[in-house]
Amino acid sequence: MSFSSDALSQLSDAISARAEAAKNTVVAVRLGEGRHLTGMVWQSGVVVVSEQSLPRGDEFELVAPGGSTLAAKLAGRDASTNIAILKTADVIAAPALAAADAHMGTLALAIGADGEGGVSARLGAVNLVGGEWHSRRGGLIDRRIVLDIGLAHREEGGPVFDATGGCLGMSTFGPRGQVIVIPHATLTRVVPQLVKDGHVARGWLGVALQAVAVPDALRESADQTGGMMVMSVVENGPAAQAGIVAGDIILSVDGISAHRFRKIARYFGGDSIGRKADVRVIRGGAIITVQTTIAERRAA
Amino acid sequence: MSAVASDVAFAHRLRVAVHADDPLRRAALCKVVAEAGHMVVGLQDEADIVLADGSRPPDEARSVVGLGIVDDRLRGALPREADARQIDAAIRAVAAGLIVRTPVRENGFGAMRESEGHALLTPRELEVLAALAEGMTNKAIARRLDISLHTVKFHVESLFRKLGARTRTEAVAKAAERRRSEIIML
Repeated sequence: MSFSSDALSQLSDAISARAEAAKNTVVAVRLGEGRHLTGMVWQSGVVVVSEQSLPRGDEFELVAPGGSTLAAKLAGRDASTNIAILKTADVIAAPALAAADAHMGTLALAIGADGEGGVSARLGAVNLVGGEWHSRRGGLIDRRIVLDIGLAHREEGGPVFDATGGCLGMSTFGPRGQVIVIPHATLTRVVPQLVKDGHVARGWLGVALQAVAVPDALRESADQTGGMMVMSVVENGPAAQAGIVAGDIILSVDGISAHRFRKIARYFGGDSIGRKADVRVIRGGAIITVQTTIAERRAA
Repeated sequence: MSAVASDVAFAHRLRVAVHADDPLRRAALCKVVAEAGHMVVGLQDEADIVLADGSRPPDEARSVVGLGIVDDRLRGALPREADARQIDAAIRAVAAGLIVRTPVRENGFGAMRESEGHALLTPRELEVLAALAEGMTNKAIARRLDISLHTVKFHVESLFRKLGARTRTEAVAKAAERRRSEIIML
């Protein structure tokens, strides 16, 4: 009796064929002691990896599809979007990755590198899809995509495909082991900037801030309960030039409450560079307004 | 402590070198190590274990217990927010030749937390906290900030409550952790 034509074996064959076809999309990034991470071949010579899992360092060794070893150099990393770029001197054939939108409940196929030039596959469902969000480091992620999939650490950073073969983005770990996707749209936006400059352009005042409660006496006139205390000021930065000093409590920037991190992060995107901004601060028990000019953040 | 118990504690006393980029965090970790009954030694000294926060000391050949470090070569890998009990357990386990890992990564790539959710510290409380981190007594803090002893106690209690801490060391450690996740560069 043969089941080769029933729906289940057809599904199985289709998944296996898809995984096989994805083998030119990933490389292994060697970590030593037989361990590795997965990298996603974005274009010829450009590999995308999960920034949070890539060790510090400038030079890495990759295992290309088929098993040959390649040297790669770090070309840029952006912790705010969890994207790092490795460049290889040798050409890696770039796969054709078509972008796809994630839809809740659909099947997802996550591909990892097996470390020897082949791939490993994980099948699951798209557990949840939401709108854009900001990471702890302030980066804008275009969509919230959570997968119902088990992923090994060595598989993190590989592409995630939908049933049509479209690419949802790069797999990575969220809090508490949750598997999430850095969307294709975010990669498309961030990778070219990283390739070009090694970092992502962001607006910058040159201050380190910590959330503090506004002292009781000023709460009414400040009309807010929280602010951001200036912990340090970068020498000759825009804030320093405007006379902002450590101990000032920033209440708002151009009317946006400073403790609304998400709004502030959005306000300081690449387009903010060069803009004049009014900063409302508490200094010495009084509320004053200081004008600053937003500059471009210096490379970390 | 009975004589037997103290002997046991002494037998398990390890020499621990502490590496941390943030001086406040380093002070807190040294306290955690000392209060767990170990001896804090310098990075250049002979040590059984190196406790490293944030980054691994370069070319470190000794066994390292890392906090919040992504490096598969670490003998001990704990999340940044590991508590005193976990740090002590990891130090002892790694010294005994074991490898320590937490079951899942707590600290994966996550969303920004808005600060409204929990009680913010006031500027005055931050000053008191900085003094606590230096190991100052309430009396010394009162002198430094030119406030009454009663007011200092009030601020310390408020800090404990807001940070969910029971001891001064714990308050300093929790605040350092919170500072790390809350400080934003603009």
